[in-house]
Amino acid sequence: MRGPAKNMDVLAAADDLRRRTLVDMTQPLERLIYLASTRDYNTGLYYHQGLALRFSDETACEALADCHREAFDELVAASLEELVHELEAYLKSTRVAAGDFIVAWKGLEPYRVAVPVGIDSLSSELVFSNLKVGLAILEERLTARPKPGASLRPLPVQ
Amino acid sequence: MIGLVLCSTLGLGLLVFMWALGRRKGAPVEGCGRQFVEARQALRTLQFGLLPENLIERIFDPEDFRYVTAASSREIGELFLQERTRISLMWVRRVRSEIRNLMHFHLAYSRLHAKLSLVTEIRLALDFALLLLACRALRILLYLRGPYGARAVVGLLRAAARRVCAASEKSLAFLNPPGLESFRRDSAGRGAAI
Repeated sequence: MRGPAKNMDVLAAADDLRRRTLVDMTQPLERLIYLASTRDYNTGLYYHQGLALRFSDETACEALADCHREAFDELVAASLEELVHELEAYLKSTRVAAGDFIVAWKGLEPYRVAVPVGIDSLSSELVFSNLKVGLAILEERLTARPKPGASLRPLPVQ
Repeated sequence: MIGLVLCSTLGLGLLVFMWALGRRKGAPVEGCGRQFVEARQALRTLQFGLLPENLIERIFDPEDFRYVTAASSREIGELFLQERTRISLMWVRRVRSEIRNLMHFHLAYSRLHAKLSLVTEIRLALDFALLLLACRALRILLYLRGPYGARAVVGLLRAAARRVCAASEKSLAFLNPPGLESFRRDSAGRGAAI
């Protein structure tokens, strides 16, 4: 009976995480980056102090892993247009100059270390590829006049 | 004299035939476990990593290309096509590789453990042949026409791959006793580093 009880705890912890911490992060990309940042590079284990206090280290870790995987799945399913909007929204939320953001993301490709464990390499390559094209579209919008009829949102260029 | 030569030739032929039979590599029973686990892994990769409908739709959906051509320059359109062709070729290569793994498993080991009817075996053999042929055709089409020029072949390949997966699932069903499945659900699916 330990298994199902443990699962219920993980579900409760994941629900708690969604309601409290992730509620303001409406975009999967934002959630993906945040959740990846709660993972220890050396152990691969996730840690969230508040969640661990309410539940347990292990339960919090599994709940964070679940939400991380969920955010990634949403990114895989997103069309390129949706992904570009997500990049724009994420860029706004970081309050970093758009040019600096694009240079850093194109150079460092930080999204490559934000993939949850156990994801098939094809899915992650698809997301990386879409992000690469999405960043190129954003960069072009920053440097050139957009074509008429293109879906545009203002960028916080400083 | 002629009779003696004929009999000797026949005898020699039989000896050579028996020698060849004796040399033929059979499926070694010892160490089979690893091959079963690898076949199971190939099956899971196909079912959950490469053949889900939403992933295939995402890769081969022309909507993304329409968006890129409407919203950005020709250079970005070319970059997008390059990237999507790369991803679609990667998909075909991975599907082909996993299908070959399953085919080797069926050729070498499934007869020892799973009794398939002759009709099922013939159908399976045809599906494997069709799949490998479709993979080759798709690769050529992707090179020539890009990721959006071969949707019919993609559909054909996916349908045949699913049939092969269903047959392989039956052959490997004994690896999934109910207790093991519930254990797997409780651990590997959720754990962060398991």
